[in-house]
Amino acid sequence: MHILRMRQAAIVRRGEHVVSPTSIDLAPGERATRDCRDDREAEGLAMMAAALARATAGSVLIGEYDPRVQPVHCKRIAAFVAHDPLPLSRIDAERYIAHRAALFDLDLERARAHARLLLERLRGLHEAFAYPLVGALVANPRLLVLDRPQPASLPDILEAAAGCAILVTQTQDRA
Amino acid sequence: MTPRALVAIVSARMHAERRSIAFACAGAAVVGFIQPHGVATITDPLTADVATRSVWLAGPMFFCSTIGLALAMIQGPGRHAYLDTSESSAPLFGRELARAKALAAVLSATLASLVYWAAQFLSGFAAPPAFFVVALACVIASTLVALNATTRTGLTRLVALAPAAATIVVAYVLAVYADAYSTKRGDAVAIASELIFCAIVGYAALRAYGESLARFDPLG
Repeated sequence: MHILRMRQAAIVRRGEHVVSPTSIDLAPGERATRDCRDDREAEGLAMMAAALARATAGSVLIGEYDPRVQPVHCKRIAAFVAHDPLPLSRIDAERYIAHRAALFDLDLERARAHARLLLERLRGLHEAFAYPLVGALVANPRLLVLDRPQPASLPDILEAAAGCAILVTQTQDRA
Repeated sequence: MTPRALVAIVSARMHAERRSIAFACAGAAVVGFIQPHGVATITDPLTADVATRSVWLAGPMFFCSTIGLALAMIQGPGRHAYLDTSESSAPLFGRELARAKALAAVLSATLASLVYWAAQFLSGFAAPPAFFVVALACVIASTLVALNATTRTGLTRLVALAPAAATIVVAYVLAVYADAYSTKRGDAVAIASELIFCAIVGYAALRAYGESLARFDPLG
C-alpha cells in the first residue's frame, strides 16, 4: 500500500500550470525528491502532497484518503514543513511546540520530551529551521513533506525523520 | 475540535497581534474620552429621545465596529505565515478553524469596545449598559462579516468589506429608529430588533467564513 499516490496531479490557476502534472508513488519509509521549475511549483507540489492545497486535475491519495474529500484524515497522516524558517523573534520555541501539541491533541509533556529528542538529532540545524521540523514530527506523521529544505541540513532531517515516508521538493537551481 | 486546540489558536492569534490589540484599545480609550456627548436642546421628548440615542450610539457603533473590521482583517493569511501553516496543516475542518479565528478577532474587538465604554464611564458620559450591549452586538456582527474578506485579495477584498459596512449602518438605524416615537415599549423594540439582526448576520457570516476557509487556496 502506498502512503502517497499522485496520478497526473496538477494545479492550474487562471489557465497557468502552478504545478505541472505529476505522478508519484511513495510507500511507507520510502523517500523521493522532486525537481520543480520554480519556487511556486515546489511549494504547490509540497502543499498538494500534504493536503494543504487541492489538485485541480488528476488525483491524489494520502493513505487511503482523498484530500479533496477527507482533508482532516489526510492531515493526520501527512506533515508539511514550509520553506521559511520559524520567526523566533515573534514566537517562543517552547510556545510553538505547545501550540502544535494542542492542535494535534498530544500530551504536552510527551510532546515536549519528543521535541527535545528530535532537537538532539537536529543539532546541526539552526533553531529557526529545526523547530518547524520538530513541530511537524512531534505528531508522528507517516508522511513528511519538505518544501525546499536547506540542502546542507537534509542528511540530519532524513535521520531525524527515520521511519516516515519523505517527499522533498526542490528547485532546479538548488538541486 | 478539542477545546484545547481552540484555546491554542485563539491565544496564539491574540499573542501574535498583541501590539495591534493594544493599539486598538489605546485608540478606543482616546476616542471614548473625547467623543462629543452633547445633544442640542430639544423640547419634544420623543425627538430628544431619538437624538440622544443617535449621539450615544454613533461613537461606539461606528468607531468600535471599525476597530473590529481592522482586527478582523489582520487575521488574514500572510501576516503570520507560521501560524497559517501550522493551523492549516492541523487536522481541523474549515468551520472549526473559522470558529477559532473568529473568536480571536471577536475577543480583541470586544476588549477594545470595553475599553471604549470604560473611557466613557471615566469621563462621566457612559452609555447605559443596554446601549453598550447593542453597540457590542454590532461590533461582533460586523467583525464576523469582515472576516469573510480576509480570504480574498485585491479589489474583491474591498468589495467583500462592503457587507460589513452595511451591517454597521443597518444595525445603527435599527437601534436608533426602530422604535422611534413609540412611547409604549421604551427602547425594547430597537434593542430587540438590532440584537436579532446582528445575531442572524453574525451567524450567517460565521458559516460563510467556515466555508471560505474550507475552500481557501493558499496558492492564491
